[in-house]
Amino acid sequence: MNSPLVSLDPRITRLGVYEVVPETLIPKSPMDQFETYEAFFQKKENAAYEHTGPVHAPHPELAYLFAKEQYSRRGNTCTGICVIRTIDIQTSATGDNDKNIYDQVIPRGEIDLSGPVRSFDIFHMKKRGGHHQHVGRVEARSHEEALYKAKQAFSDLSPVVNVWVAASEDIRFSTPEEKSFWDTLPLKKYRDAIVYKVQDRIERFKQEKASH
Amino acid sequence: MNTEALKELLYKMADDQLILGHRNSEWTGIGPLLEEDIAFSSMAQDKLGHSQAIYQLLNQLGEAEPDMIAFHRKASSFKNCHLVELPIGEYDFSLMRHFLYDLAEKIRFEMLTESGYEPLAQVARKFLGELRYHELHAITWVKQLGTATEESISRLQASLEFALPYALGLFEPSPYESEIISSGIFEGEEALKARWHQKVKEVLAQTNLRLADITLVTPVYGGRTGIHTDYLQPLLNEMTEVVLLDPTAEW
Repeated sequence: MNSPLVSLDPRITRLGVYEVVPETLIPKSPMDQFETYEAFFQKKENAAYEHTGPVHAPHPELAYLFAKEQYSRRGNTCTGICVIRTIDIQTSATGDNDKNIYDQVIPRGEIDLSGPVRSFDIFHMKKRGGHHQHVGRVEARSHEEALYKAKQAFSDLSPVVNVWVAASEDIRFSTPEEKSFWDTLPLKKYRDAIVYKVQDRIERFKQEKASH
Repeated sequence: MNTEALKELLYKMADDQLILGHRNSEWTGIGPLLEEDIAFSSMAQDKLGHSQAIYQLLNQLGEAEPDMIAFHRKASSFKNCHLVELPIGEYDFSLMRHFLYDLAEKIRFEMLTESGYEPLAQVARKFLGELRYHELHAITWVKQLGTATEESISRLQASLEFALPYALGLFEPSPYESEIISSGIFEGEEALKARWHQKVKEVLAQTNLRLADITLVTPVYGGRTGIHTDYLQPLLNEMTEVVLLDPTAEW
C-alpha cells in the first residue's frame, strides 16, 4: 500500500487514511443508513408541533438529539421538538386540496378493538405539499379507531388532505426542563448566512480590482 | 472580592471551552453520521460562545478584548486542562472526552447560577440550557455504545481508562481555592469533583463500562498553571492561522 492521503485540509492528513484504488469492478456497498424518524418542532409555547423533516438514527433518544440540531439550530424561537419512528406513523389516503379526506374515511370492515385503550396523537396536513401539524389527542384501541375518533373530534376544522396517527407512547416529546435548550437560539444569528452583510465589501473589492 | 482569584477561575473555564470547542470542530465534515456531524459541530460552536461570554467578563475586569485573549496569547498563558487539548483521536475518545468534560461543565454552570459574582451567575443561567443539551447528548451516546456491541464497549472502556487521569486534571485545585469559596464566587473544585463523580458513576452503572476507583488514579495536573502537552501549540498555530495573516482585519 502507498502512503496516507495528504490534503490541504490538515485534519484530513491527520486521519492517516489511505486511498483505495480498485483494480477492477467491485460490488457497490449496500445503503448503510439507520432507519428514519420524523421530526416535529414547536415554534412558540402552545403552538402546534409542525413536521419539519426526517433524521436517521438507531434509537429514539438519538433521533431526538439529532433532530434538535438538524432542525432547530437556526431560527428565531423554538420551545420543543418531538420525534416518531417513521414506521410507527399510520397515514390516511391523501386527498385533493378542495376536499376533506375525513369525508372519504370509510371503515374497511371491522375496526380492530382488541387492544387496550391508549392515547394517540393526530396530525393534519391542510394542503398538499404542506407540513403536518399536531391537532390533538384521542383515546382509542388501535390506530384505525383513533382515526375515526379524530374524525369526530377534529373534522369540523378546515379541510384536511392527509392525516397521520401515532401512538403517544411512540413519541419522544421535549420535557419541560428541556425547553431551556433553546434559550439562546435568538442569539445564534451567526448561523444564518443572511446576517453577513458583505455585498458592499465585494463591490469595493471589484472596483479596486478594476482600477488596477 | 479577590479579583485575581476570580480571574483565575474565569480564565481556566473559558480556555477549556475555547480549546475543546476548537478540537471538537475538527470533526466537522468527517463525523460518523451526517446528523451527528451537525450536532457535534453545533456543540463545538456553542463552546466558543461560552468562552467568548467569559472572556467578555474578563475584559470587564480589565483584561484584553476577547479576540486578543483568544488569538494572541502564547501556549504558556493558556489555563486549560490537558484533557481538552489532546488530539481528537478516534470517535470513541472524542465522545468519552465530551462525556467526562460536559458532565463536569454542566454541574459547574449549575453551581455558578448561585455565584455571588452576579455577572458570572448571569452567564451561567444564560447557557445552562445549552449545557443540558450537551450533557444529554453525551449521556445518550455513552449509554447507547456502552451497552451495544463487544467492540463499542471495549473501545469506550479503553477510552475511559485513557481519559480518566486527564479528566481528574479538570479539578486541579487553584491557589485561590479558599478565597473563591469563602467569597461565595464558587463552591470550589473539590465540591465540583464530588458531584461529577456521583453523576459519572450513576450513568456508567447503566452500561457495561467499569469506572476505576478514582482515589487510586493520579490526576494529570499542570494545565491550570500554563504547563501543557506538546499538542497545544500546534492547535494554537492552526486556530490562529487566518487571523495572523492580518490581525487588524475586520470580520
